[in-house]
Amino acid sequence: MSETLALETPEVSVTPTPHTASEPSGTLINGRLQGIFEASLVWIALLGAWFAAAEYLPLGANPLIPSPAVTARALWESLPELWVGTLSSFSILIPGFLVATVLGIASGLSIGSSPRLQRAFFPFARVAAPVPPTVYIPYAIALLPSFKLSAIFVVFIGAFWPIFQNAAAGAHALEQRYRDNASILGLSGFEFQRRVVFPAALPHIFSGMAVGLGFSFILLTVAELFGANAGLGRFVQYYADFADYPKMVAGILYTGLITFLAMTGLEAIKRRALFWQR
Amino acid sequence: MSQGLSLEGVDFSYDASRILSGIELSIPAGQFVTLLGASGSGKSTLLRLIAGLQFPERGRLAWNGQPIAGPGLERGVVFQDYALFPWMSVVDNIAIAIGKARPATAKVGRIAEAKDYLSKVGLESAIGKYPFELSGGMRQRAAIARALALGSPLLLMDEPFGALDPVNRARLQDLVLEIWEAATPKKTVVFVTHDVDEALYLGDRVVILGSTPGRVIADLAVEFPRHRDRRTLFTSDAFHELRESIAETLAADTLRQLVAA
Repeated sequence: MSETLALETPEVSVTPTPHTASEPSGTLINGRLQGIFEASLVWIALLGAWFAAAEYLPLGANPLIPSPAVTARALWESLPELWVGTLSSFSILIPGFLVATVLGIASGLSIGSSPRLQRAFFPFARVAAPVPPTVYIPYAIALLPSFKLSAIFVVFIGAFWPIFQNAAAGAHALEQRYRDNASILGLSGFEFQRRVVFPAALPHIFSGMAVGLGFSFILLTVAELFGANAGLGRFVQYYADFADYPKMVAGILYTGLITFLAMTGLEAIKRRALFWQR
Repeated sequence: MSQGLSLEGVDFSYDASRILSGIELSIPAGQFVTLLGASGSGKSTLLRLIAGLQFPERGRLAWNGQPIAGPGLERGVVFQDYALFPWMSVVDNIAIAIGKARPATAKVGRIAEAKDYLSKVGLESAIGKYPFELSGGMRQRAAIARALALGSPLLLMDEPFGALDPVNRARLQDLVLEIWEAATPKKTVVFVTHDVDEALYLGDRVVILGSTPGRVIADLAVEFPRHRDRRTLFTSDAFHELRESIAETLAADTLRQLVAA
């Protein structure tokens, strides 16, 4: 059941470190340096290709591929505006994602650990979860009093399902030994949920949160195309409309960086929270 | 009704195959019983029934005359290899048991009491640690501390030292005996093992389960005086005689099974 329930969870792996565990510890530093070296090759190659394209392709006066130097200047000049955009975007992303996390975990755990609630809710979840959250955007905007609220709602929907499904799968997969242990100690109800089911399901929950956070960024930037007056997605769209490609590319790079930092932050929280897993 | 544990006509099946058949057992309070059997004899299942984690198909289980209808704090369990919650520190694992057994204890008191139990099992050094930081032997010490912290008069131990190396296994056997002998009133212990030496060294009585289905095929008193010494006991003739007769009983049951198959 957990197989059909769990959403596909692509591993969010940040800079793979290519050394095997069997390597003797003396070569660990070498292995790490080698990893950095190999990763930087890709970066250098990409940057070189960008340079070459901007330099040698006949792209006209306002090239669609602005050179790295021009883009860097545009990025530097746009930083104050991008910062305001970041704050605006995060004022949508954070409430949406947090509410999705809290509700996703609470409902996922309570439904996932009760066979009756599973029978009642899973058929609905199986139909509702796969609906692409982007289709709710126009309706949310019509339904809710402000653009901001609609955007928060859409981010919430996008992040909720993966978190809910993974929390439910985690609660459902609670190992018999933990159940036995809890029964022996007389743990039940909320105490059982809080001290046993929740920590045991945390690995699942973090996978769901990583997927949910990815969805949040996608939905945020899409929603901003519909009516925001600031924000990261809005920034890119705005300068694309003016054919200001250096700023547009700068906005794309900046958004990529912010997304990467958010993912890395979540990954760090996960590593801290799951310290007990070896 | 007498004090202690009583099992009457207990049958248990799983997936249409009979695991336990007609188990009759009466264990007076304060007795240390070892439950010996080959794998597949249903000895762990029997322990789970006594713990109230599973229910029999037929028959009656009772502790001090009260039917067993589920897990209860008067029956503490030590499992083989997974007694602790890995996300809680060792102290918290024990404090949570104290909190359930004696809810009136304030948090500070629980922690202090948990530390006492940990030093009782020789784990002062592990107080602030997490289970993943401990060796197998230390984890089982902590598990024993937790079972003791529950204050249960009946202690159920399911091959608790099965995964340990011989040195640690011997140390923990001695620890269990030491604690059991020192306590008043004595705890009733049901200790599951497949190791004949362990069964004889620890028990007042060895109950042997035969296989497919599990049923009692022998029930022997072990009358070696207490405060047993491992070295003198293991080299004594009386020990060897008992050991041989148990080995024969187990071999005969294995043979019977082979013939039946």
